[in-house]
Amino acid sequence: MGITSEQHSSASSIDSSSDPSAAAATSSSSFCAPIQGNNCARIDLSTDLRLGLSISSSYYNDLFPTPTTTTRVQPLNWPPIRSILRSAHLDKALDHKQASLFIKIYMEGIPIGRKLNLFAQDGYDSLITTIAHMFPTTILCPGADRVHSDKYHVLTYEDKEGDWMLVGDVPWEMFLNNVKRLKITRADRC
Amino acid sequence: MMNYFPDEVLEHVFDFVTSHRDRNAVSLVCKLWYRVERFSRQRVFIGNCYAISPERLIDRFPGVKALTLKGKPHFADFNLVPQDWGGYVQPWIEALARSRIGLEELRLKRMVVSDESLDVLSRSFTNFKSLVLVSCEGFTTDGLEAIAANCRFLRELDLQENEIEEKKNLWLGCFPDSCTSLVSLNFACLKEINLVALERLVARNPNLKSLKLNRAVPLEALQRILMRAPQLVDLGTGSFVLDRDSDDSETYRKLRGTILKCRSIRNLSGFLEVAPRCLPAIYPICLNLTYLNLSYAAGIHGSELIKLIRLCGKLQRLWILDYIGDKGLEIVASTCKDLQELRVFPSDPFGAGHAAVTETGLVAISSGCPKLNSLLYFCQQMTNAALIAVAKNCPNFIRFRLCILDPTKPDPVTMQPLDEGFGAIVQSSKRLRRLSLSGLLTDRVFLYIGMYAEQLEMLSIAFAGESDKGMLYVLNGCKKLRKLEIRDSPFGDMALLRDVGKYETMRSLWMSSCDVTLGGCKTLAKQMPRLNVEIINENDQMEFAHEDSQKVEKMYLYRTLVGPRKDAPEFVWTLV
Repeated sequence: MGITSEQHSSASSIDSSSDPSAAAATSSSSFCAPIQGNNCARIDLSTDLRLGLSISSSYYNDLFPTPTTTTRVQPLNWPPIRSILRSAHLDKALDHKQASLFIKIYMEGIPIGRKLNLFAQDGYDSLITTIAHMFPTTILCPGADRVHSDKYHVLTYEDKEGDWMLVGDVPWEMFLNNVKRLKITRADRC
Repeated sequence: MMNYFPDEVLEHVFDFVTSHRDRNAVSLVCKLWYRVERFSRQRVFIGNCYAISPERLIDRFPGVKALTLKGKPHFADFNLVPQDWGGYVQPWIEALARSRIGLEELRLKRMVVSDESLDVLSRSFTNFKSLVLVSCEGFTTDGLEAIAANCRFLRELDLQENEIEEKKNLWLGCFPDSCTSLVSLNFACLKEINLVALERLVARNPNLKSLKLNRAVPLEALQRILMRAPQLVDLGTGSFVLDRDSDDSETYRKLRGTILKCRSIRNLSGFLEVAPRCLPAIYPICLNLTYLNLSYAAGIHGSELIKLIRLCGKLQRLWILDYIGDKGLEIVASTCKDLQELRVFPSDPFGAGHAAVTETGLVAISSGCPKLNSLLYFCQQMTNAALIAVAKNCPNFIRFRLCILDPTKPDPVTMQPLDEGFGAIVQSSKRLRRLSLSGLLTDRVFLYIGMYAEQLEMLSIAFAGESDKGMLYVLNGCKKLRKLEIRDSPFGDMALLRDVGKYETMRSLWMSSCDVTLGGCKTLAKQMPRLNVEIINENDQMEFAHEDSQKVEKMYLYRTLVGPRKDAPEFVWTLV
């Protein structure tokens, strides 16, 4: 029975998106409860899953009652979603979730900078909030009254052309397209 | 009394009987009614193209004008059925053409359609009006050219999620200038389209009510098309982006203005590519929408998605990705009070733990939307408590399909199987017709299903149950069961063979990666000559072990009046 399933994966039309190893690459951290004395059995189970074998739930029940976790390696052809929908989303998933845009961000006066993933933000508000947690200052939001003072800072960025611009003037996607790095400058410089 | 009326009167009365089931019932009353009914039936539904032959269809219903045919088993959608399994429409079209049937409408699902079939179809039926192809394959744009060029009175061409080989991009231009009768056109599953031909086609078809574009139709073209067709009721957008670097506010403003004139749009879908900043253009439509399908709109999420949903107060059907999250579902629950159908698709089917909806979202929906009767929900996890609450809040489910991404996951709070939760659903929704199970499940859930799901017609089981008893509970209890599909569950020969007569009351049974053996299937086939018991072998493993004790990887059986099919490929064995 086991051998059957493994062999048939080559014969049926499986697209690469259902390859279990792809799923393993995006695993989350483990959060399962400790298993009493069943560690060996559990490893066997993971191996079974990776081979795409079908395991009945009674088998699961017998081995351990705790939830399956760590690398969620999917059984073959699961979840039951049509391949058209599946491949449409895999492209998007690569765009939005797995891609990242880490850029450097410095604050004036502090020599050590930080790195920030811009794709993890969904807009300017989110960006300012994240930065506020990273640096000890108040950043004036784009559009707020420009206060020329050394107590406040504003966010600027270097664009593709090498110019330093104030963050917030252009639509978010356009900003993502052009930004190379960020700098928190004193408000009285602007 | 009715027997004293002339046939014409009977026929006139039968005209008011429209559903297939009712007409089937009418035909069983007596020979007279059978005769009158069969000559007057215009719409025929054949749920399994191998259950009957085209010749017998034509013989019984010579007046057929509208035919629906379904081919491959449902699990073919998930790659469980190999290529070339079958489901060819060619013999049907040939037979209908030969018999000079006045076919006007053809609807096919999961069938193999060739260019030749489409060509014959387009030439053989002068009044042909409507072609709907759902999840079909085997044809190219050449076939579409034939349909466009030859069907002079075509009203509907609806291509839903088909696999179409795209050759030259000319087919849309093959509609003659005299074609002005189009009401519905859907080519969303294609990658390319001839834009100029499209715009001209829309311009000369003022009755167009349903238009679903594909990715190749840019925003500028959409604006021009909507200008020509403000009467649209059903719109599927193509690409909804403006170039990031170009300042195309002119196009955007024109689009907004045009959309304001489209007061009839009630169904909206598409957004295959989308720039969220363009979305405000459609806000005016949202107020009147009854159906919104964002299942392909991976580009709409977060606050943009929420803003959109908040405007859709009249929504009855919502198809969405799980980007919406539990919080977003709470907003749906408070906004869409008329919601009847919800489908939440996974944005990240193979991800580990990033799926964004859980039992919380579902409970919120059930709480805010008591009219909910149809659900398809892909989620991270589910609890019994949640299902019990949902069952209490929504006793009107007709379709309930739950898919937990980890298929054997128990209730994460109690670590129990989800038997009680699903039990609550089947007990409370007395009109449930379709059910899909997932999560950790024992035989108990099947006991509940057998006891309570009296109207159940279709059941999908995966990775569930503990013994043959599970399957038996279902086969014994669900009197109205028509389709049963099971994968990766420990049901074997004992359950399969207990009540062989049951399968003649059903359309079909699929079992894959279960415990049924070759011997068991052979026994069944022998006892039931009016079933086709087909074994699918994709590898040679069965060659060297024709042992009856060998477990069968995939079995598909169905009732039929025409014996084993003659078009089965070599990897499909029909047992006799």
